[in-house]
Amino acid sequence: MTLASIRDLSAHYSAGGTRFHALDEVALDVRSGQILGVVGESGCGKSTMASVLSLNPGPSLRVTAGTLSVAGTDIDLTDATRGASASHRALRGGTVALLPQGALNALNPTRRVGAQAHDILAAGDRRIKRAVSYERAAARLEALDLPPRALRAYPHQLSGGMRQRVVTALATLRNPRLLVADEPSSALDVSSQRLLVDLLRRLIAEGLVEGIVFITHDVALLSELADRIAVMYAGRVVEEAPARELVSSPRHPYSQALLASVLVPEPGTRGRRLTGIPGSPPDLRAPLAGCAFAPRCEHAMDVCATDRPPRVVTGSRDDSCWRSAETEEAAHVG
Amino acid sequence: MGFLRHLLSKLGWYAAAFAAALGLNFFLPRLLPGNPVDTLVAQALRGGASSETKQRVYETYIQEFGLDQNLGAQFLTYVGNVLQGDFGTSFSRHPAEVSAMIADALPWTIALQLPAVLLGWIIGNLVGAVAAYRRGGLDRGIYLSSLFLTAAPYYCLAILLLYGFAVVLPLFPTGGGWSFGLSPEWSAPFAADALSHWFLPFLSLLLVFIGGQAIGMRSMAVYEVDADYVRFAESFGLPDRKIVGYIFRNGMLPQITGLALAIGTLVGGALLTEIVYSYPGIGTLLYDAILNKDYPVIQAVTLLVLIVVLVANFLVDVLYGLIDPRIRAAERGDR
Amino acid sequence: MNRLRALPPHCLAAAAVFLAIAAAGLVGPLAAPAGPGELLGGPFTPPGAEYLLGTDHLGRSVAIQLVHGIRTSLYIGLLAGVTGTVVGVVVGTLAGYRGGLLDEILMGFTNIMITVPAIIVLLLLSISLDTRSVTVMGLCIGAVSWPWTARAVRSQIASLREREHVDIARLSGSGTWRIITVELLPYMMSYIVMAFVIQLYGAILAEAALSLLGLGPSGTPSLGVMLHWAIAWESIRGGQWWVFLTPTVFITAITFSLLLVQSSLDSVFNPRLRARKAAR
Repeated sequence: MTLASIRDLSAHYSAGGTRFHALDEVALDVRSGQILGVVGESGCGKSTMASVLSLNPGPSLRVTAGTLSVAGTDIDLTDATRGASASHRALRGGTVALLPQGALNALNPTRRVGAQAHDILAAGDRRIKRAVSYERAAARLEALDLPPRALRAYPHQLSGGMRQRVVTALATLRNPRLLVADEPSSALDVSSQRLLVDLLRRLIAEGLVEGIVFITHDVALLSELADRIAVMYAGRVVEEAPARELVSSPRHPYSQALLASVLVPEPGTRGRRLTGIPGSPPDLRAPLAGCAFAPRCEHAMDVCATDRPPRVVTGSRDDSCWRSAETEEAAHVG
Repeated sequence: MGFLRHLLSKLGWYAAAFAAALGLNFFLPRLLPGNPVDTLVAQALRGGASSETKQRVYETYIQEFGLDQNLGAQFLTYVGNVLQGDFGTSFSRHPAEVSAMIADALPWTIALQLPAVLLGWIIGNLVGAVAAYRRGGLDRGIYLSSLFLTAAPYYCLAILLLYGFAVVLPLFPTGGGWSFGLSPEWSAPFAADALSHWFLPFLSLLLVFIGGQAIGMRSMAVYEVDADYVRFAESFGLPDRKIVGYIFRNGMLPQITGLALAIGTLVGGALLTEIVYSYPGIGTLLYDAILNKDYPVIQAVTLLVLIVVLVANFLVDVLYGLIDPRIRAAERGDR
Repeated sequence: MNRLRALPPHCLAAAAVFLAIAAAGLVGPLAAPAGPGELLGGPFTPPGAEYLLGTDHLGRSVAIQLVHGIRTSLYIGLLAGVTGTVVGVVVGTLAGYRGGLLDEILMGFTNIMITVPAIIVLLLLSISLDTRSVTVMGLCIGAVSWPWTARAVRSQIASLREREHVDIARLSGSGTWRIITVELLPYMMSYIVMAFVIQLYGAILAEAALSLLGLGPSGTPSLGVMLHWAIAWESIRGGQWWVFLTPTVFITAITFSLLLVQSSLDSVFNPRLRARKAAR
């Protein structure tokens, strides 16, 4: 069952008369009880997407089109930039929540954890009593194996790993339907990453959140954590597939190149050679006519430079590449 | 305990600063060429005093300052007198005690400055936090007007307000602490009269102070508004006033140190404002003393200001240690 | 220096205002038909064709006093600004570069100087000097205003000292003096320029405050001295606006324009503020 779907999401930053196209007709589905991984190199628009999905885009981001449907509610994403963000504000934290990048600094350093928990709950229910907030927050901490006394602490009194988990507990305090995790792991060491992965799995397993969008540049991590993986390049989703299939048999040339440049713990990894991706990402100041990856793609054809490749769905996966489109056509004809 | 040690080391620094201040206050005028003490005696006695008065002034002066002794002994006499609250006798209003003159003036100054500082600090910091958080036109407007308020010296704004609201539009009295014909007493008519005299100088201090604090807070909060914890709080749809509160609390901590450092300028500026309004406080006392070369009064006032500034600094330090949990824990060693 | 082109227009306007006032102070006294102390007309004559900005309580021309006053105030400000900046940079550099005991002593002294309000020290200095020439006043103000600069320069130098190019210079046998002048100070120039603007601003204010108290330079009008007489002769309550408004407006214009220039320089030189501007 589909929990959330993003349709036709386009957005750009405007700075000094120049536009930077950050998101270009992005479409994604998050299924109930699953973790969708979104991967891409820096500048591919994944963090922009996190800010849009968590309904809190930065002031200079213009969302020109796009809807987010979460559990039956349709949210017009373009509203936020036109000053009608009040309706979005009501959904933040309760329907969609953000697990931020750099969780270590995500807590207000001069406020006790418990008071911050109360602020968060009070944002959803203004009349909630402080005692009730503390009770609920304590219960949530306990459910995640955290000592409830953490509520009385100031953030600096918690260890790094503890802070990470407290932030996760706070992010899910109001039982959001969808959790958007924006590179929460990038600043963590390997063992803390492991703990975070377990924690997120547990959130899903215990039904504290219904679905997670996990944004990262770390394909190896996603191959363990995610149920499905979407690959982004230059503001577009170029391929989406079940995690295992994407890792073992990527179809889009960019996915192939991305996977060839990292080590993913899979059978056959040993003895593989790592290769980089030649060239650099495209200039996003002008709209791109054809496939964004074409200039760096070893398989590029004439059509790739002029026409945008269609999204080709095969079974449980899809990708947007002219080669796949031709193979598909040939299969139908033949 | 760390906090106590922190306090003690601070206390040590203030003791050193106080000793330096006391020394400056005493030695500076005496060590400069031309033996200014003699000059001052001469100047004090110039004019139409009778020879009997002259003789009395001179004798009191010699005795009070122990002028027949060497400089070290004079300093000890001075410190001893000061510790007993004895600041000597005024030259210009002989035989008035300097301590009594100060006691008369001090309440007026406190009534003027304390509310202006506290209120201005709170309002200014809130304005600065809001400006930084909202950004855009509001921010620019607040920034430029605050910059203007701080750039203009205290007394310039005081002059403009006095001219505008007491002379051109006679809404308020043109100066002094109370109207001619009344005398200070605890009664409703006098209180109302004093309040109307108090308002303009208070307002001019308040505005300048709001401006300065808003600027400081804004430049702090500019960094805070992009902080991770603000973005995280926003992602829960926390109301704006709550988020401004977060920023305020975090931006405020450096602002408290700023307050400590600004107290000196502040008190000095406020004294000048009193002069513009002929307000019967310490500032006007100092002004008259300088015009009349009333050296004991000048020295007492400068010492008083020095002490007030040091004590205020120390209190702010203590307050800072209590408010900031990070400081309490980390016990930073900077002085 | 391409970065200077990034200065916002209000900063350039502020710089232009300051330079125009400074030019008036430079040229005005030469072009004036009479000296600042000459009694030209009746007391408190309003502005008109005869006296551009009217006359004061003695009948001296306010306009002529103004140009002389600007010159005096700026001269004191510049002298004090240069003195304060130089002393501050020297003390801060020594403390920051040498570190250790010297650092402790210098910074201890600096912190005491910061805690003791400068205006009080100046006041004590001024009442002790029977005649105060403009040069002495400028030096006195400079002598008490350096601690802020010293403290800031020290922390900058202390962090610069850790950089690689400084280590390399040290290892290759450069002397202390050479390291400071070649490897450290050039990186601080933008900072020192800003510190100087702030020193200039503070010194002009300090001069005005002292003069207002009646401790101004002897024998010359300055903006603060004009204000002192305006207040002493009750021109505000008497409604002789040209007498008190003239120095008020010019002091404010000078200080406001300096502060604007400083804050714009800050946003140009300070990468963090600049980055924020670009990102948003």
